[in-house]
Amino acid sequence: MIITRRFAGQLLAGVAVTATLGRFDLALAAEKAVTVALDLSLTGADAEGAKRVEYGALLAFDEANAAGGAGGYKINVVPMDDGSATAGQYDPAQAATNARKMASDKSVVAALGPQMSGAGKAMSPILSMADLATITPSSTNPDITDPKFAAQYRPAGKAVYFRTVTTDAYQGPNMANYFADVLKTKSIFVLDDSGAYGVGLADAFQGQAEKKGIKVLGRDRLDPKAADYSAILTKVKSLNPDGLYYGGVLQAGVKLLKQAYDILPATMVKGGGDGLYGPEILTAVGFPAAEGWYCSNASPHSMVDPKSQDFIKRYTAKFNVQPDDYAITAYVGAQVIVDAIKRVAATGKPVTRSAVRDAIQGTKLDSLIGSVEFDANGDLVSKVVSIFQVKKDVAFPLEDMSAQLKYIGIAPAT
Amino acid sequence: MSGDVSAQTTAMRLPLWTRAIAWLPEARRRQLGLLLLTAAALAFPLIHDNDADIDSAANAASYATLALGLNIVVGMAGLLDLGYAAFFAIGAYAYGILSSFQLMPPWTPFWEPFAWLHLVEKMNQGGGDLVHFTVSFWLMMPVSALLAAGFGVLFGAPTLRLKGDYLAIVTLGFGEIVPIVVRNWSSLTNGAMGLNGVAAPSLFGTSFGIDATPYYYVAIAMVALLIFISIRLRDSRIGRAWMAIREDEIAAGAMGVDLVRLKLMAFAIGAAFAGMTGTFYVAKLQTATPEMFGFPVSVMILVMVVFGGLGSVWGVVLGAVILQLLQSWFLQDLSGWLHVLGDLVGSPFLQKIDLVPSIELIFGIILVVMMLYRREGLIPATRKVPALSFDQQHAEVRRGGFSALSGIGQEDAPGAPLLEIKGLTVRFGGLVALKSIDLTVPAGSVVAVIGPNGSGKSTMFNVATGLIRAGSGSIRFAGEEILGLAPHEVLKRGLARTFQNIRLFPNLTVLENILVGQHARLRTGPLRAILRLPGTRAEERAATEWAMEIVSVFGNRLLPRVSQTVNSLSYANRRRVEIARALASRPRLLLLDEPTAGMNPAETLELAEQIKSLHKLGLTILLIEHKLDVVTSLADIVVVLDHGEQIAKGTPAEVRQDEEVLRAYLGRNSQAGSAGVV
Amino acid sequence: MTASDLLLQQLINGLSLGAMYALLALGFTLVYGILELINFSHFNVFMIGSFVGLYILQAFGLSGQAVILTGLPLAIALLTAFVGTMLVSGGLGVVIERVCLRPLRTVKGPAAMITTIGVSYILFNVVLLTIGADSKNFPNPLPDVQFHFGSAVLRLREILIWIIATLLMIGLYLFVQKSRMGKAMRATAQDPEAARMMGVEVDQVIIMAFFLGSALAGAGGLIFGLYYNFTSFIIGFNAGLRAFTAAVLGGIGSIPGAMAGGIIIGLIEAMGGQVVSVAWTDVIIFSLLVLVLVFRPAGLFGRLAPTKS
Repeated sequence: MIITRRFAGQLLAGVAVTATLGRFDLALAAEKAVTVALDLSLTGADAEGAKRVEYGALLAFDEANAAGGAGGYKINVVPMDDGSATAGQYDPAQAATNARKMASDKSVVAALGPQMSGAGKAMSPILSMADLATITPSSTNPDITDPKFAAQYRPAGKAVYFRTVTTDAYQGPNMANYFADVLKTKSIFVLDDSGAYGVGLADAFQGQAEKKGIKVLGRDRLDPKAADYSAILTKVKSLNPDGLYYGGVLQAGVKLLKQAYDILPATMVKGGGDGLYGPEILTAVGFPAAEGWYCSNASPHSMVDPKSQDFIKRYTAKFNVQPDDYAITAYVGAQVIVDAIKRVAATGKPVTRSAVRDAIQGTKLDSLIGSVEFDANGDLVSKVVSIFQVKKDVAFPLEDMSAQLKYIGIAPAT
Repeated sequence: MSGDVSAQTTAMRLPLWTRAIAWLPEARRRQLGLLLLTAAALAFPLIHDNDADIDSAANAASYATLALGLNIVVGMAGLLDLGYAAFFAIGAYAYGILSSFQLMPPWTPFWEPFAWLHLVEKMNQGGGDLVHFTVSFWLMMPVSALLAAGFGVLFGAPTLRLKGDYLAIVTLGFGEIVPIVVRNWSSLTNGAMGLNGVAAPSLFGTSFGIDATPYYYVAIAMVALLIFISIRLRDSRIGRAWMAIREDEIAAGAMGVDLVRLKLMAFAIGAAFAGMTGTFYVAKLQTATPEMFGFPVSVMILVMVVFGGLGSVWGVVLGAVILQLLQSWFLQDLSGWLHVLGDLVGSPFLQKIDLVPSIELIFGIILVVMMLYRREGLIPATRKVPALSFDQQHAEVRRGGFSALSGIGQEDAPGAPLLEIKGLTVRFGGLVALKSIDLTVPAGSVVAVIGPNGSGKSTMFNVATGLIRAGSGSIRFAGEEILGLAPHEVLKRGLARTFQNIRLFPNLTVLENILVGQHARLRTGPLRAILRLPGTRAEERAATEWAMEIVSVFGNRLLPRVSQTVNSLSYANRRRVEIARALASRPRLLLLDEPTAGMNPAETLELAEQIKSLHKLGLTILLIEHKLDVVTSLADIVVVLDHGEQIAKGTPAEVRQDEEVLRAYLGRNSQAGSAGVV
Repeated sequence: MTASDLLLQQLINGLSLGAMYALLALGFTLVYGILELINFSHFNVFMIGSFVGLYILQAFGLSGQAVILTGLPLAIALLTAFVGTMLVSGGLGVVIERVCLRPLRTVKGPAAMITTIGVSYILFNVVLLTIGADSKNFPNPLPDVQFHFGSAVLRLREILIWIIATLLMIGLYLFVQKSRMGKAMRATAQDPEAARMMGVEVDQVIIMAFFLGSALAGAGGLIFGLYYNFTSFIIGFNAGLRAFTAAVLGGIGSIPGAMAGGIIIGLIEAMGGQVVSVAWTDVIIFSLLVLVLVFRPAGLFGRLAPTKS
């Protein structure tokens, strides 16, 4: 008891010192600077993707700072982690805390993140009350920006949750249109990966597929922690649908694609969403298993654009990893923020978060993903969904995404 | 009385800042500390105006409530629960579903009374009237607690008879099943997409909204309430029974603790804490997804409990707060601090280091290090008791027994058969441990059972006290059949026992051990334990007085040591505590299994006289003993067992002459007449 | 596919899964039989085993992108991979025992089990922080030979996995039944005190149990990699939990029980996915676990481990 009290005292003192010093470095910030907060899932299962997103954002901010700042303002980046050991992955409670952290730090004028819709749901109301805009590079669950839930997710009224990705409400259905209209798929089996993203995407796909007259022969749910999907794939094989659609990310996707190659006939049309559009489809799945899979991307494709070739080069040179789709949307999101700060600074008014939010709302920016404009809910005006197919091209490195994922075209809108 | 002893001696070892208030009595100092802590907790949002930090603190507080709940299950009752987050999920989804737009059945007149009660409201989104559930947060707090407790009983009932480690696995299984059900039952829970539009609590018509401060105060109030409940339970008949189960399940049962009931109670109360916290948590986040309640959550709560100290109420609160703030707060700051340091000393490694993602690694290391080097946690549950003075250590041999012990041995008229064993046969697989044994113990007598090792003596005790429920035949106690009854039922009827290899509750004090012995004679239930009304206080006081009266039977052997844990006692003293514990249940028949084993001749003589005193008071005693001089001096009747069969019966003198007995003791072929040896 | 082809295919799937679970279950059973300890670190020893196997195969110049070996080079690569993996993971098990568990052997209560959870977390996070969260492509050096039974397919690698798993299990069984050390292990499982008095070096027996159990888990990890052609830091939990269920199902402490339990769980997983839905497979498996523990704690085939008081 006695020892413990003393121990607790020492601990408290240590903690106090740490906390003070930790804040000290924030106070060192130069004058005429603004802060942009990042909220990413750096702890746990999503860590790898989070790093790529972080790099994408950092690249844009570093480039802006190197060019003399956004309208003369140096941008300080504060990364925050919404993953926690308690959750083993993204933790909505920690995301909410981070949102409050951003809200109470007056130097923060905009934010980038979160990656996961579950975190976004917890953050959005807090950001709304603070009139602080965030741009998510990857959370595609439509609920957050759905006007039906406006009272819940933006109690202050204005949109604060902007996206540089299209929501599942378009990506899934447009892919279903592509399956029905272009690939002439008559019957399909739908799988998801139990996650909010995957389930939402698969639901949206399935709904539109049924409308289009595709017969849905079955629907099941993969456990992303399980290794063996041969049971369900054998079932799919026995039902013999024309196509298989998978809504989900590569954690389950890697295993699914590998085992699908072994079990399903090569003639079956196989596709997924933007969850498949990442380097792991080549590095971890690879050929021949990935060959022929379709995937979509909730943005116009511009990787063939010389601009984006250049981006990939700079990104890879700086961080020594390949960017993925979300690295690009994060980069664009950061550009949107830089652009908004610039426009506010140009008016001569103080760069406040409200002004930046309003400026983001009025964004008209030509970017790697095409023209970025937001509607009143914060969603991209452009609902373009691009479609890709994995096709082996031995002329290029087998892990080069821009070479091995062939751009097919734009999916038909509903 | 235990407090007085420690209060005098701790003062000199206190650190400076505590010595400044040393003039205050111990109890007052505690009150002062509590007051300061409360004031600091209440003032925190006022002096520290940072919404994020207040929010972190509120999260930490809600993990403290979870840790308090798990502490009851794991720390106090010793039931390793690896699926605790399931109850958290149940509470969270209960409120989430009943206060959001998730379930919207069509409006019918059936809902009118509920609308009148403000549980639902009619709403129209175009296309017919729908029901919108609007159950109040304040109503759902207790309801979720009850619901989770119900699930606790449901999950616990089939599994609690399993051994500890199996229990852990089964709870782990339940912990996996609940989120899967939540994920797949999307009509009820919105599945993986997560709940939308969960209402924030409101008080006096004002919604909490997203401001962290009101949530913080609710969380603090919850922690305070649950600390209060935990302490009240811990210091009651219920808490003692839990700790007895944790320490030694078999002995706890034999001392009258209804194992199934008490374990279920621990499970249900622990689950209730989690259910309530779940409701709070989801109200604060206003969303819930199945991933929030997986295995890592259960493990982290366990880490918090282990870190703070298994069974220690304040410890687990501290453990939860430190670990939760560590990850949401300090680790990021610490990384930033190291970066500054790296800039100063020009170390690129320090400039880049990021401690945040290593939090799980840190938690793993904490688990291992704490288990290896400080199993009692930050704040140990059992306080160290000061060493005894020389005088206290010096035992005075007390001869001549004693003459009074209130309420012992007055119930049964001497001579009538109190315990009748008829045709008792026990088989273990193919082995016959006891073979049609007949034995009658008349009230007021001392009957000794002797026999070589493995002759079935202890088996007979185990069958009679319900520890082995495999016998055929009949055991009647005061005319009632007791064969096949559970141990606590047997004790309730008046049979109390000691064990050959001493089964005390090692981490409980002497006094607590003896109080557990009274379990079946006390009435306090969980509710009364929490409220601690005058009736309960009186019962506790009487129980303590009775325990002290028993202790004083052994002179100053135990008296100075009542507040010491029994694992610090000598072998002989442990035997004495075990007898005292058995006596505490006010038995009509006392079963002593080799009570003098391991004692020196003086101690043996002393104990024999004390047993004789019990006999003189009228207590009936059944005794297993190897020391034949003890048997001779105590027993009215001696029964001799060999290989599960009764081979002789009679007065000590008769048995000494019996040839079968000699053979059994000295070997089959021995005809030696050295009866004195026996 | 006809119903019977489907059944056959799911049987093949289930047996392959089951073989892996059985290898993992044996480690649980060995340690539990002797120490009555549920060893959660076993989950991630399995995971580490798959990474060790990956690196050994990479050292043979095998990368993920379909480099195929045949004949002697294949045999040498596989043999080295198995021996190396088993030695490393067995050694890891021994280290865990020596450093983290031996000091707790006499401590009552859940301390040792909690420690194994901690060790499991440490292993998991060391891999996550050093190797990363991406799934890693695993070399597949086996030629893609297929046998068709109707529309059911049996592949060479499935046959190989069955053979390797069976050999390992038979080896273990013979070791425990026939060898001096094996007899000492069985004696210790029955009654450690008596065994000690009869001159059994209990410390050595325990180390051997950890070594063998962990080595088998490592082999299981390597088989996992070869079978699924990937590995990741996350694979331990799910496989471990199912293997543990298998061990309990077969009667924990019993070696043939662990094998049978593994096969049964594998078959349930395959058939459950076919008949019900993979979304509910975990619920089916864990419900089965609860039912077995409640109604037949000795397991379907096993003996009740002797209770040590």
